[in-house]
Amino acid sequence: MIDLQIILPALIFLPALLGFLGCVFPKIIFPLGVISILGFAAASLSVLGGDFTYSFTLVGEGGIQFSVDSYSFPLIFGSCITLLIVFGLFANRFSHYFYQICLVLLTALFISFTTVDLVSLFISLELLGFCAFLLVADRNDKKSLFNSFQYLIGGGLAMLIFLIGVVQAFTFTGSFLLEDLVRAPNTALCLIIAGLLTKSGVFLCGLWVPNIYSHANCQSSAILSGCVTCAGIAPIARMSQILTPISDSMIVIGVISAVVAAIYAVFERESGRALGWSSVSQLGIAILSPTYGCIYAMQHGICKALLFSTLHDEDKNSADLSVSHQSQSNLRQSPQELMRVIAFVFASLSIMGFPFLAGFITKNWVKYDLPFEAQLIYTTASLLTSTVYARLIFDRVNMYVQRRSRIESNRFNILSIIDETLSSPKNYILILSIILLIASSFTYPDLFTIESTRTAVVSAILGGILFVSVVGIQADDFVKPVTRTLDLVGAPFLVAALLLANLLYFKI
Amino acid sequence: MELTLEKIRLMPIVLLMIIGCFGLLNSKSILRSLLSLDVIDTATISIFVITAASAGFQTPIVSIERYSSYSDPYPQAIILTAIVIGFATQALLCAVALRLGRKSPMLRYRDLEND
Repeated sequence: MIDLQIILPALIFLPALLGFLGCVFPKIIFPLGVISILGFAAASLSVLGGDFTYSFTLVGEGGIQFSVDSYSFPLIFGSCITLLIVFGLFANRFSHYFYQICLVLLTALFISFTTVDLVSLFISLELLGFCAFLLVADRNDKKSLFNSFQYLIGGGLAMLIFLIGVVQAFTFTGSFLLEDLVRAPNTALCLIIAGLLTKSGVFLCGLWVPNIYSHANCQSSAILSGCVTCAGIAPIARMSQILTPISDSMIVIGVISAVVAAIYAVFERESGRALGWSSVSQLGIAILSPTYGCIYAMQHGICKALLFSTLHDEDKNSADLSVSHQSQSNLRQSPQELMRVIAFVFASLSIMGFPFLAGFITKNWVKYDLPFEAQLIYTTASLLTSTVYARLIFDRVNMYVQRRSRIESNRFNILSIIDETLSSPKNYILILSIILLIASSFTYPDLFTIESTRTAVVSAILGGILFVSVVGIQADDFVKPVTRTLDLVGAPFLVAALLLANLLYFKI
Repeated sequence: MELTLEKIRLMPIVLLMIIGCFGLLNSKSILRSLLSLDVIDTATISIFVITAASAGFQTPIVSIERYSSYSDPYPQAIILTAIVIGFATQALLCAVALRLGRKSPMLRYRDLEND
């Protein structure tokens, strides 16, 4: 009999070990890293739907407690798939340095998904912050350096706020466990939640998200949106499950975040920033429901990784690397471009909650889990989300069509297109992810009632109509990008104060 | 809400934290906000240490001579990690400030945010 007590911690720390060893032996370690990520994805997928739960304590009595349960598996699966997609699609543009950061990041994510201890959570979130800092600063120009500086100083302050909450809870409960927070005072809960919300990038605390997503490299943005922002979701879901005041406050914050960030996204012109705002809005939805929040975050993370990976043309992506081979590859890469556009459209539709895609299932789960008052605003938010993605799809397809008309010379030959599509491994990844998005929607066929399908289709169509009606509004002075450091840094204080006011006086 | 001895002990730290937050929210240049973050870091660490010492002041090491009031070793052990992490954050931030300082030597937010 295999002893899970030893196997699970070893598995959790395996990616970090591989990452650090990779500094010495990059050639050998990278395939091992990919294989281990594949293994993690397969293992977490096999126990995804079940109720497998295993708790263990790391160093004997009074040690660090972990719990591998239904909160962790979806997020582990999501981050592994995100990393695999990014590794596959950007394979020729990485240094081995990038892989190692990603592997260390994976261990930090595993710890934050599985731990039930506030101090381990603090350490894993800080490690995650450092890795995210390195990913953002990877582009190495002044703007991205300044953005990463803002991220690090905001994240560091948020984590200090979190730590003050932890010590206040400790003076009342005498332990650092999440389950003992039931006896903690309200101020401690507010400070802890404010720190977590900043890390997961929900509205007001998550103002750093659009700035960073629009200025970092595509691969970094994909990893940030798919993995890093999910880290705060699991502890928030665990806390809302046991603390009723927190789950009520989360509904308020989540609904505000979902609607306001979606409005920002609708009026945002630049695609990267719009995706960032939409990410804030989607994570706001994810914290609404403690039961299904993790699965929602998983679906959102995978789709966002696909979206960021296929947001720009291949040429634009590699323009900074090699300008010379751009002209000759134009003709050859056209089927691949088509594949990228198709993947972009499918991922957008999935986030919109279109029927027969993965997003439809998760959206309905969250919807039926909400109280009736919140459902109304939830529907508004999903309508706005449809509008955002209608615009993004329109822009992306428009860009592709313009590009095709520029290189008109090649004839449209189906056979050659299929042949070329199958020749590139990147296309296999894109096709596989699209098929998986569709296939995963058939695992729960009872959700496909006529009413829910109709609602989803109508919401998508209404989103398109809304997009046509707001497309003329030039909202350049309506939505100013928030770039001041003061706003980014001061937000956690404000959220902590608002939460405290809610817990003490409003009691929503 | 009466004023106990523990609350009075925490007063200077709360003052330190207010100073740090004020500095962070009002700083005009990168270096000042970096130092303010360090002040808040120090205040947080002091809260941990003072909380641990609320039971007693003696070093929690068992020797031949037994004291009557030991301090709680648990928060003290845990705050060591936070000290190291705070140091690492400061080092990274200093490195970024060094890189940013090549282009705009004054390191003012006004210059850095507007381009």
